[in-house]
Amino acid sequence: MRGIKFSFLCREKPNPTGKRVAIIGAGPAGLTAAGYLVCRGHDVDIYDKMPEPGGLMLFVIPEFRIPVERVRLGAKELEEEFEVTYYPRTKVMEDEREDEGDEFYERVVRLSELRENYDAVLIATGIWNVRRIGIPGDDLEGILSPLELLFWIKGYELGYVPRDKVPKLEGKKVGIIGAGLTAVDVAFECNRLGAEVEIFYRRTIREAPAGAYEINILRNRGVKWFELVTPKRVIGENGRVRAIELLRTRLGEPDETGRRRPIPIEGSEFQVELDYLVFAIGMVSTPPVNGSYIVTDRRGRIVVDSRHMTSVEGIFAAGDVVNGPTKVGRAIKDGLYAAVSIDGWLRGEP
Amino acid sequence: MERKYLYLDHLTCIGCETCETVCDFIHDGSPHIRIYVTENKQYLPINCKHCDDAPCVRVCPTDAIYRDEDGAVRIAENRCIGCLACLQVCPYGVPFYSLKVRAITKCDMCADRREVGLEPACALMCPAEAIQYGPLEMVLELVNERRARNIPEHRRELSEEELRKSVSSGYVLL
Repeated sequence: MRGIKFSFLCREKPNPTGKRVAIIGAGPAGLTAAGYLVCRGHDVDIYDKMPEPGGLMLFVIPEFRIPVERVRLGAKELEEEFEVTYYPRTKVMEDEREDEGDEFYERVVRLSELRENYDAVLIATGIWNVRRIGIPGDDLEGILSPLELLFWIKGYELGYVPRDKVPKLEGKKVGIIGAGLTAVDVAFECNRLGAEVEIFYRRTIREAPAGAYEINILRNRGVKWFELVTPKRVIGENGRVRAIELLRTRLGEPDETGRRRPIPIEGSEFQVELDYLVFAIGMVSTPPVNGSYIVTDRRGRIVVDSRHMTSVEGIFAAGDVVNGPTKVGRAIKDGLYAAVSIDGWLRGEP
Repeated sequence: MERKYLYLDHLTCIGCETCETVCDFIHDGSPHIRIYVTENKQYLPINCKHCDDAPCVRVCPTDAIYRDEDGAVRIAENRCIGCLACLQVCPYGVPFYSLKVRAITKCDMCADRREVGLEPACALMCPAEAIQYGPLEMVLELVNERRARNIPEHRRELSEEELRKSVSSGYVLL
């Protein structure tokens, strides 16, 4: 197997420009930007809170979609052939905030410090928090976020997470709320680990973001699919999830996304017994600031201009931390074009 | 020179659009590989297959379409008269007319990159290893190896009932 060739634009490192760029986040956007910048002769250092580079590609996306080895070899090639320096287990943060995966960092570096020590900085910290649904009982034991569940399973398989951290899913009933690719990946992994899985979605399979192809594969593997239902509350017993109460829905007029809006049908409540419940309803951007220093929008995403530059001159941003959850290809595209802007800016081009 | 193949494995493609992104990047905004999405959201990357007996090569009246030493079907833009005959015969609908260069254009397996010893960008960057490039034997070996790695956990062997169900729903898992 060969690694992802992040430096696909050149064969070897060109003459150095003497400029130094710090990249925060070693996911697809950060690594691709690094690949472009080293091909333009810049020195690149990459800071990441995880123990090794790869980001969500390595720590969350299941192995059957993206092979671990391909990511590892790609990151290694940048280090060995293009002299990229990784600073793992290092969280870059201007203020304070807790995110998923924080248990791995050992050092904290301030963003403003990096801005002072490097010629340019690229933020590519992605989406390491999950959206909360806000219904009664959503804080009971046994309610898992998709990020932590996938992250524990993959982290254990990679040797970073102890066995007792991964829930014993064999023979257990797992409910998943949502029908995006994350929900599908959670369902695949729980099914693989022997759980009985049920997906609950408020629209029909036609509107499901993951699409009928993936959902049908899951159904053929025994995963149950409930459509036109929305969660009303989670029922607990001794502080632990026991069941979920759902309301049936019908589809109304299309909303701003173009999909027909689900309307709950009053009085249609019913309950489904569960051991675990996963809310896979979206992930949230995690910039290395918490409301100050650089401008973010109300959803926490970093605001950038057409050059991918943030409100602080010399600090750029790319990937999911700017766009919210997207595909790997979109993050790679953003990383590439941000790197083009950084290169132009470092060379003093208008 | 040994013939090279660029193989897109639809069964391992995850539809992440990385191939389209990097192709778009190196071709100034006109990607030569595109991800098509079926109604049930199956992702199908499509680009030139560089067919053995390529109908576009046969039909081109000006010999503008030819095969290079690596086996890539290429277009000499200066000889293209824009008759669109190649577009008519391509079973994949791959060639497209570029208003920028006033000629037909399509995937040439990154000819400019191959000249300086680089491989097609889509194959190098595909995170899922769904695009393989190289001599036929090597490509087939890599594709089989990649699929085999998926079988035990993800695409495990199906029971007879599951197989019947999957066939009736329009696809077969491998």
